Amino acid sequence: MPFSFLEVAQVYAMASSKKVITRDEWEKRLDDVKIRKEDMDKLVMNFLVTEGYVEAAEKFRSETGTEPDIDLATITDRMAVKKAVQSGNVEDAIEKVNDLNPEILDTNPQLFFHLQQQRLIELIRNGKVEEALEFAQEELAPRGEENKHFLEELEKTVVLLAFEDATNCPVGELLDMSQRLKTASEVNAAILTSQSHEKDPKLPSLLKMLIWAQNKLDEKAAYPRINNLSTAALEDPLV
Amino acid sequence: MPTSATSSPPSNTTRSPPHQLLRRLTTTAACSESKLKALRELKNQIIGNPTRKLAYLRLNAVSAVVSILQLCFHNNNDDDVSGHLRGFNYVSGHVRGVFGDVNVVGRGFGDVSGHVRGFVDDVNVVGRGLDDVNNVGGVFDDVRGHVRGFVDDVNDVLDDVKDVGRGFGDDVKDVGGGFGDDVKDVIVIQGAAVIGSFACGLDEGAKAVMEAGAFDLLLKLMPHPNFKVVDAVARALKLIYQSKFAPKFDFLQEKNMEYLILLLNNENENLTGLGASIITHSCQTNAEQKVLSDTGATERLLVLLRGSLAQRDASLESLASIFKDNREVTSKFVGPGNGRMLRDIVDLTKDKCPRTRLLACILLIVIRNADPLYLQEIQVKIKLIEVLFELVHDSGQVGDEAPFALSKLISDNEEVQKLAFDANGVDRLCDCFNKYLSLPRRLEGIFLALADLCSKLECCRSRFLALKGLDFVVEALGHDRAEVRAATCICLRNVTRSIKNLSAHEFMNETLIHLLLPLLCDKSYSVQVAAFGAINNIVVDCMPHKTVALRSGVVKILAGLSKSMDSTIRLNSVRALKNLMFLASCNCKQEILLELTLSTLTSLICDSEASVQEQALSLVRNLVDGSVDSIDYVLAEDCLLLNAVKRQLENRSKDEVLVQAVYVLGNVASGNELHKEAVMQLIFPQKDDKNESVICNLLKSNDSRLRTAVGWLLINLTLPDNPGTCDRVTTLRDVGIVSLLKNMMNDRCMDAKLRAKTAHYQVIEHGD
Repeated sequence: MPFSFLEVAQVYAMASSKKVITRDEWEKRLDDVKIRKEDMDKLVMNFLVTEGYVEAAEKFRSETGTEPDIDLATITDRMAVKKAVQSGNVEDAIEKVNDLNPEILDTNPQLFFHLQQQRLIELIRNGKVEEALEFAQEELAPRGEENKHFLEELEKTVVLLAFEDATNCPVGELLDMSQRLKTASEVNAAILTSQSHEKDPKLPSLLKMLIWAQNKLDEKAAYPRINNLSTAALEDPLV
Repeated sequence: MPTSATSSPPSNTTRSPPHQLLRRLTTTAACSESKLKALRELKNQIIGNPTRKLAYLRLNAVSAVVSILQLCFHNNNDDDVSGHLRGFNYVSGHVRGVFGDVNVVGRGFGDVSGHVRGFVDDVNVVGRGLDDVNNVGGVFDDVRGHVRGFVDDVNDVLDDVKDVGRGFGDDVKDVGGGFGDDVKDVIVIQGAAVIGSFACGLDEGAKAVMEAGAFDLLLKLMPHPNFKVVDAVARALKLIYQSKFAPKFDFLQEKNMEYLILLLNNENENLTGLGASIITHSCQTNAEQKVLSDTGATERLLVLLRGSLAQRDASLESLASIFKDNREVTSKFVGPGNGRMLRDIVDLTKDKCPRTRLLACILLIVIRNADPLYLQEIQVKIKLIEVLFELVHDSGQVGDEAPFALSKLISDNEEVQKLAFDANGVDRLCDCFNKYLSLPRRLEGIFLALADLCSKLECCRSRFLALKGLDFVVEALGHDRAEVRAATCICLRNVTRSIKNLSAHEFMNETLIHLLLPLLCDKSYSVQVAAFGAINNIVVDCMPHKTVALRSGVVKILAGLSKSMDSTIRLNSVRALKNLMFLASCNCKQEILLELTLSTLTSLICDSEASVQEQALSLVRNLVDGSVDSIDYVLAEDCLLLNAVKRQLENRSKDEVLVQAVYVLGNVASGNELHKEAVMQLIFPQKDDKNESVICNLLKSNDSRLRTAVGWLLINLTLPDNPGTCDRVTTLRDVGIVSLLKNMMNDRCMDAKLRAKTAHYQVIEHGD
């Protein structure tokens, strides 16, 4: 490994120019940052609401007095839709979405296509070949004519019918649970957007920002880093 | 129940075929529950599915739904609420009562607002007749008292009714027994959703909704005591207003404006959304913009910019229609002292939601176009360009609309075009071609944006050609959508403005011409006109023989179209022939004249449209330019052409026409003695006539182009060393040309001044 020496040398050279911040100093600086408890609570509530943990959100509200930014009843409806897709009851999910807000599927052709595609996948999974073919022809083919991308996806799905053991065919992943989850999360996001709610919780992006900021800081300083996000323990820098 | 046997309720896995479902909707004997189920199934069948919508439209499903809703309406309301205005009037009384007070109750008790109606039918009767808002409010105060008393019962009922709203299972029948109005309300909610869905994103559907009278019926249903009904109806009306078939809302009626403000001031998204859609759909004239800016509607929309996502987008869109091309209204809201408003909108161009970013960009473009004083900062312009370039790649409708916004941003603005070029604009748009070939709307926008980029700047045209942009043009000229063909032609027209490449014969390629020719006779008028634009430039080609063009048969087609009944087509074909005639060889000219014929050309010179006359004369000007032999054409057939020119000179035609006529004479006068004499004959019909000659009048014209043209003519008539010059000078002096030319030597127009000097010198020389 002729290059390793060089790399180490570079790292050493950089490390030597870095500012070192001790644990005490760092903690003192952290203490100086004032964060309102209400803001932290809001962040947690935002996570619970977006992810659909309605009972936890209710409990959190009664314990902390944090008001959710959305009617908690709508979470139940949203979760019912999500659950329906996850358990393969796509038609049920579609009806529920239409009851919630009839505009969602009318103004979101891609989501509607993916739900119909999921319905086709469920029919194939249940061995209803004739019904699946009829459904593909009547419901999905017209969408494929309108959009080349949909047509490709439809063709890919229909391939499932050509294999006796569909799970082992080249597009077998469509039958995976992950496909249901993918569709479910797409519906979830669309419902959230229709309720003027962000489709992703704020907490994960905050953690991503933390990682990014630490990486940036690594270039300039040695400081007590958070390496384990679940404990958020400060680890002493290697100096 | 005879219906239950023939129409079983749909199971979860099978859906009824359209005709069967429709029968269930129209059977008069069916109970309301079975109609409700049928309505709900119809809704779930059509939402998101344009094919299915069309199938039901053919079966007249909208009328069936309207009939059902009408029943609900008549049962609920005995009053005759006819006509829009009375409808609005009626609403405004209620809106305050219903939306204000009951909402307060609703907030306190969860979902009470929906249930109040079960207990307070008598309130409706009182409320309906009253325009007096306070009275309605007072009645609702009583209701509040009632509700408090009943609150425990309400909560029991609440769960059942909630089920009606969501599941619509068998509970409906049970609930229906005790609460007939509940089923009715749910029917209206479902029916409104069906109508809204038919109107959503489908022209045929929106048209059918209007024709079936659904719009008026929904308006009448707006003042409904059940807030859920109002919400559903407002949503349907909003969707109808988003189509082009909705009637125009009259903002100038005071009552209407009051109603609109009530809608906008509500907290509910569908009500504010309806208000905003009404503005976006109907606000067109300056007077309407002014009313909307004076009555508080605009202020409220600006507040809604900080509202929910839907409210923000709807506000951005309606603000654009209020500000469009109206400097006064625009500066009232974004002018000095309101800088924050502008910054807020600029901030929205960085929003997470692509549609918001697009709408914010469009609003900023509208503001800039209304008054160029705003958004001068270069950074904002660069930001707009960047955002729009990114949005072109959005997968949905936003991506389709982004290039159109880009086109509006850069069109007629060389500075922004340069910025877009510096941002690699031509490359980025050309990259889109391969990606979006299957998306016609986007393709159209991309061609239009490229057309705007290449409209003025040679660097953009060169880059487009270097990137083999013409290959994409060739591909898209045969597109099956007329809009794409038209946009492609417009792009080609602007690219072919490049003199450098025209001189290098870059565009005279057979494939291009062969694809363009059929478009001159395209069934779409806009394609025809756009194709002419491209052909007009391409045939300018400076090669005298113009072999490629002539071989293509373009002359025959253009000659045929020059006889079109449509003046724009006539104008464009004559203009193309004129360009083809530009610097053409004698053979080429002959070939063109053979197809066009002298008599057609003569009638074009005397066309009813001045613009056609101008181009026809300009064509003759190119015909007699160059070789002396070609001047003979104007003398052919007893001076047919020359006499036509003469008629135009005598007819007090428009200055533009006269300019071309004089240039024809100027070119003829550059020929031999015979030609010069023919011109003299034309401008001085009788030698002894001492009346003021037409030429003197033209020299006194206010139009400097005309004075210049006459200058050239006089120079050619008085050229030294020609045998007849002396006589001609004498004639000219006799009509007082010397003093006129002397005056002109101080002309404001440099061109005219120089010509006058030369002509004066030549006349004086001969006189001495």
